[in-house]
Amino acid sequence: MNRRTLFIAGAVAVLQIGFLASMIAGRASILRNGQEVLLSVQPVDPRDLLRGDYVTIGYNISSVPTELFAERPQDERNGRDRTVFVRLRPGEDGIWEAVAARYDEKPEPAPADGELDIRGIATSSWYDEATSINIDYGIERFYVPEGEGRAIEANLRERAFTMTVAVASDGAAQIKSLHDGETMLYAEPLY
Amino acid sequence: MASYATKVKREIARWREAGMIDAATADALSLDVERNGGGTISFGSILSMMAAALFAAAILIFIAANWEAIPRLGRVTMLFIVIAVGYVGGAEMKLRGREAFGEAAWVVAAAAFGASIALIGQMYHMSGDEKQAIFVWCAGTALAAAVLRSGALTIGAVLLAASWMVMHAVDDWALQLPSAYLAVAAVLYLLTFWTRSAPARHLLLLSLFLFAAFLYARDETFVAPIVLIVLSVALFAFGRLQPAQAERMLGLGSALPVQALVGFLTGVGIMQVELIDEQGFLAVSIVAFAGIIVVLLLAGRESRTLRWLAYAAFIFQICFIYLVMLGTMLGTAGFFVVGGLVLSALAFVITRLERRLSGPQVVEGEWL
Repeated sequence: MNRRTLFIAGAVAVLQIGFLASMIAGRASILRNGQEVLLSVQPVDPRDLLRGDYVTIGYNISSVPTELFAERPQDERNGRDRTVFVRLRPGEDGIWEAVAARYDEKPEPAPADGELDIRGIATSSWYDEATSINIDYGIERFYVPEGEGRAIEANLRERAFTMTVAVASDGAAQIKSLHDGETMLYAEPLY
Repeated sequence: MASYATKVKREIARWREAGMIDAATADALSLDVERNGGGTISFGSILSMMAAALFAAAILIFIAANWEAIPRLGRVTMLFIVIAVGYVGGAEMKLRGREAFGEAAWVVAAAAFGASIALIGQMYHMSGDEKQAIFVWCAGTALAAAVLRSGALTIGAVLLAASWMVMHAVDDWALQLPSAYLAVAAVLYLLTFWTRSAPARHLLLLSLFLFAAFLYARDETFVAPIVLIVLSVALFAFGRLQPAQAERMLGLGSALPVQALVGFLTGVGIMQVELIDEQGFLAVSIVAFAGIIVVLLLAGRESRTLRWLAYAAFIFQICFIYLVMLGTMLGTAGFFVVGGLVLSALAFVITRLERRLSGPQVVEGEWL
């Protein structure tokens, strides 16, 4: 234990803070540079959406029909927990919809103008009877200040909300703003 | 808190300045005094560690409340300051000989690191995997423990790694239980030697026993419990036959046979529960009794903890086997009568044994 310890302790702090700052920078860069898509919000569990300090939400693309997939996964767990890329295209009402999907890689051919690929993880297995695969995109939580969750939860069940999501070129998704019809309820600042 | 260790360290610093010993020796001596010189853990260090745990919990809950009165960038900055001040301030306190406060400050800093991960997840509504977040927190804490040679942070890293493993086990019928936990545990085991943290080593071993039980739940084969039993027996034998080498390689002190017995009982217990109403049950139960008695006879003299663990396991085994084999036939009243008789017999035997074993020459077992 000597003076060098102070320097080492400082280095540990710098390293940990640097790591955290790079996490923030990564998310902020998706918000700044990612392409925007509009998704419709669907309640996941009709009884209790509010878990702790966040509301669990699903989207119109959370469940992707199996016929949109390029091929059926051949692994032991039938594709569960594997990365999935889903091709999105805006529908007539402005809500983006899934048009193709593929395990591990982006669907072929490259997305046309106005389309993009979003990355997720399959949370269900492809069994013989399966008609759709559940996918998590990492945007299934909406954190709310303590005490405000119940109101949002009640509204979510009554009306269709929409979410603007930023998608990076590698397919990573990031929540940008929550809308109730034309009104913007929450918008995420960059930092 | 001018403890013995602090005084000796002051002397070491003086010797070094006088040129009587070189820097490497001084460091080695200081570290040795820190870890081994204090004897028992002081009241002050326990209190400061509890204070650190409270601060850590407060930080984590504060973040979870998502309080909007402070803008989130303000909250991030606050946490970053806690991290920086915690690590550097802790080192400064250690330099001044305030060991316990220094370690406590580092624990608070590591907690702030974890809280920051949670806060960033909250800021960007990340719904990723909590397990992954815990793993990153664990890695950051282990790294800090390694470079700062901190015992408290090592314990923190072990607890986080164990939480990571348990979270996999409770999810999804343990199907996702990562075998990689063995590798994580191996790394942390080496870390406990580097930071000379015996408590962390013991916790790690206990977590491995738990891991074996979860492995059984995942695979539903007897591989995990059998391996655990064999390794526990090997551990015990190694400790008996090559005590010096076992201490050098494993560093478990007088708790080695205790750990071996816990491991053995965990493995046997898994098999017993699985074999209820099947043929092998009696055979496995006999192995359990044999194990307890052998341990008691061979190593009981050296450790009181071991003896009481063995007695407790013995009583538990009797009740368990009784319930499985006869319970259905005799009913509850009979169970209490038989239980009473067995317990009085055991009490008689145990008091006799204790009187014989606890002579003045006995080295008391130190647990942890």
